[in-house]
Amino acid sequence: MKITDACVCPYPLGDSTVRRMALEAGKLGFDSIVAVDAQPLDFAGVRVCPGILIRDTAAKDVISRVKRGRDVGGVIMVQARDNGFNRAVIGVKGVHVLCGIHAADKTAFDHVTAKMAADNRVAVDIDLSPVIGGRGIVRQRAIHRYRDILMFSRRFGFPLTLSTHARSVLELRAVREIAGLCSLLGMDEHDVEAAFSGIAAVTSPADRAVRVIG
Amino acid sequence: MTPRPPTMREKRRYILVRVDPAGTTIDQKELYYAISDAITALWGDSAAAIVNAAVVAAEEGHVIVRCQRGTERELAIALSTVTGYRDLRLALRLVAASGTMESLRARFRKTKRPVPAKQPVPDEACPTGAEAENGEREAGFAGKKFMIAECEGGKVDVIEKGFKNTNRLFLTTEDLEVP
Repeated sequence: MKITDACVCPYPLGDSTVRRMALEAGKLGFDSIVAVDAQPLDFAGVRVCPGILIRDTAAKDVISRVKRGRDVGGVIMVQARDNGFNRAVIGVKGVHVLCGIHAADKTAFDHVTAKMAADNRVAVDIDLSPVIGGRGIVRQRAIHRYRDILMFSRRFGFPLTLSTHARSVLELRAVREIAGLCSLLGMDEHDVEAAFSGIAAVTSPADRAVRVIG
Repeated sequence: MTPRPPTMREKRRYILVRVDPAGTTIDQKELYYAISDAITALWGDSAAAIVNAAVVAAEEGHVIVRCQRGTERELAIALSTVTGYRDLRLALRLVAASGTMESLRARFRKTKRPVPAKQPVPDEACPTGAEAENGEREAGFAGKKFMIAECEGGKVDVIEKGFKNTNRLFLTTEDLEVP
């Protein structure tokens, strides 16, 4: 799981089946994708990880949904809202990714939230769909927000993930194209590489600070 | 008027782009406007003037886009933000860049995919489909009947039968229900 599209929405949310998404993603240079509401699958050399996207839910309900999601397995993503919600969600054990930060309030993600994300190993998702499909102020706001997130990430060290939120194979982008789009956000080659493996970083078990031997 | 000597001409680069979904009828002019709009939206008028993009050829699901030498990166990023023109949804996939159109054409001939035909899709290409009375291939998916629009290398593009929903669905041969 070195090059992962952190969120795609296959059929019935979109117009492409999860197998077709995997087939196209493989041809575009990915080795894994996170598909919302899909079953785990290996197809055409691409690993499909199930994703659970929690949105429009109060913070207390997120806990129960995360608990249910943890039993099922897969990548748990929560849609960002205001600052208080984000802080609460980042503290919930089992949350892997905070997504949709471009659509949240301007103050939704600050230095305290960034520190919490780094401590709890929660990744922040960079959704490229507003950069690809948006025009004018929508794209400008998204780029500005992502630049801010990148600055926090460099400072506090929380992982980033890259996603297209593709609902169709036509919305998927090649690894090289994504790297080009990320250069608009101020990300260099190493940042992009680290962000592509962000899902692997948050889903793999953490290294223990102290290991008991014998 | 005498033509400008080659050494005094602007240096250009050509980018070969594949148009997805397969079988899309490419309107060269409309595509040029879409690309031009994408470049202007992303980089602004002054950069668009420097890039000086033009769609110089369109054939069999591929187009060749021309730009000034040194602006390939800007053009490539802008091309990845093209999502369609008019009501047509499409994606532009970069295949190669070169200094001459001829070398791109040679490369295109090598990687050429079968011409999307209106004729029925052969059985060996798409084994799970069934032939309808009018000669079109049809297949089942999610309990509904679909008409196969494209079938190539395990990919199957289908359109729901009827007049209400004519959106394309993107499947694989494994997704199709065996009749």
